[in-house]
Amino acid sequence: MVTEEKKKELLEKLKNAVIQYDEDTAKEGAQEALDIGMNPNEAIFNGLVSGMEEVGRLFEAQEYFVPELLMCADALYAGLDILRPHVQQLDLGVRGSVVIGTVEGDVHDIGKNIVKMMFDVAGFKVYDLGRDVPLDKFVEEQMKTESDLVCLSAMMTTTMSGMKKVIADLRAKNPKVKIMIGGAPVSQDVADKFGADGYAKDANNALKDAINMISSLKKLKEEAEAGKK
Amino acid sequence: MQEHLEKELLQAGATVVGFALLKGALSQEIAHLEYAVSIGVDRNLNEATLRLLRALQKKAAITLRKGGHRYLCIPPDSDRISNTFVSKLYPLFTHKVAATSAGIGWIGRNGLLISPHYGPRLSLATVLTDAPLEVGIPVEASRCGKCGLCVEFCPSGAITGKEWSRYDPFVELIRLEKCSSHKKHVRAVNGKPSCGLCINICPYGRQDNKKKQLEALVIAG
Repeated sequence: MVTEEKKKELLEKLKNAVIQYDEDTAKEGAQEALDIGMNPNEAIFNGLVSGMEEVGRLFEAQEYFVPELLMCADALYAGLDILRPHVQQLDLGVRGSVVIGTVEGDVHDIGKNIVKMMFDVAGFKVYDLGRDVPLDKFVEEQMKTESDLVCLSAMMTTTMSGMKKVIADLRAKNPKVKIMIGGAPVSQDVADKFGADGYAKDANNALKDAINMISSLKKLKEEAEAGKK
Repeated sequence: MQEHLEKELLQAGATVVGFALLKGALSQEIAHLEYAVSIGVDRNLNEATLRLLRALQKKAAITLRKGGHRYLCIPPDSDRISNTFVSKLYPLFTHKVAATSAGIGWIGRNGLLISPHYGPRLSLATVLTDAPLEVGIPVEASRCGKCGLCVEFCPSGAITGKEWSRYDPFVELIRLEKCSSHKKHVRAVNGKPSCGLCINICPYGRQDNKKKQLEALVIAG
């Protein structure tokens, strides 16, 4: 049986491994958690993710910069890769699938990768199209995977305008799909003008917004179904 | 800590270890990690060299972490796993900048780091950190002198023969197009991508047996 004390110690270990971008310790902690029979969900959310939350805070406080953030993300994935196969069901209340990518002409995908990570952690099914993605590909992939959500990223003002076309095309094909955009030149104003459902300032907000959006979508669906009866 | 770090790395198999301050030479994303530990290992370009460099980097990272410092490992150029988050930052940095700034050597006509003792026969890795290290004296200019053996022997004529100096870092030493097309050709002929004549011919750190090998190669055409 897992003692409370041991559990606490392990969660702390996982959390610190992420904060101190220590991949080896993250792997070790994740394996230990499995060995003693800890709930993998708990190890992910109260260990790895709470570490990442602290990293987010450090980043905001300008204690941490881009390299640290990325190394922390690598440490998180190192632990996640071990734990995830043992997760039966992530209980977040909502689940969904998402198509994500950086738009055509843009090769900057650091931010996109971090957002993707947050979706991964939260148990979303992620279809990552990568970077410099031809605009039609987003629509195609959304249709193919019937995803609830499409996330577009752009880091340059020149490539940002491509989002407008993708959003229009997506709306024409499937008015129900939710669209989020993000990236350095993007603002709420741009999101409104382009007709996106959401704009994420950073990875943390992207995830929160995404969960909100999907739950509102599910609600609409339920209401519609209830209305039929 | 620094002394301990240097000793530890040398004992673990590093050929040279140098320390540098890279203020002003780093791109904005990594500019807060302005000190560098430059690690050189005898160049064999095989799996063992890469493993050794990786292990040395890890050692340096652990020591720096214990001292409460930040760090960023830039792995050897030939061993960059690209599926990690942090690998996106690797192209922002070249190992040769750290090595010349640490005083390990200069950039030769062949575009490679030349150490007075080991010539161009080092494989490099770097650990950037915010730990205030005691740094070496940067090498300011090429010490190739009048030697132009690599220019002469380059089978593709890729080496321009110009000289490197810290104050003019953008001078074109190598016509990359020619060099890579030659390597492609070699690969097509004998399956090996390497050329490396500009390494073998360099008189700095050259051993006699290598000289003989080279003469044999030249005679063989």
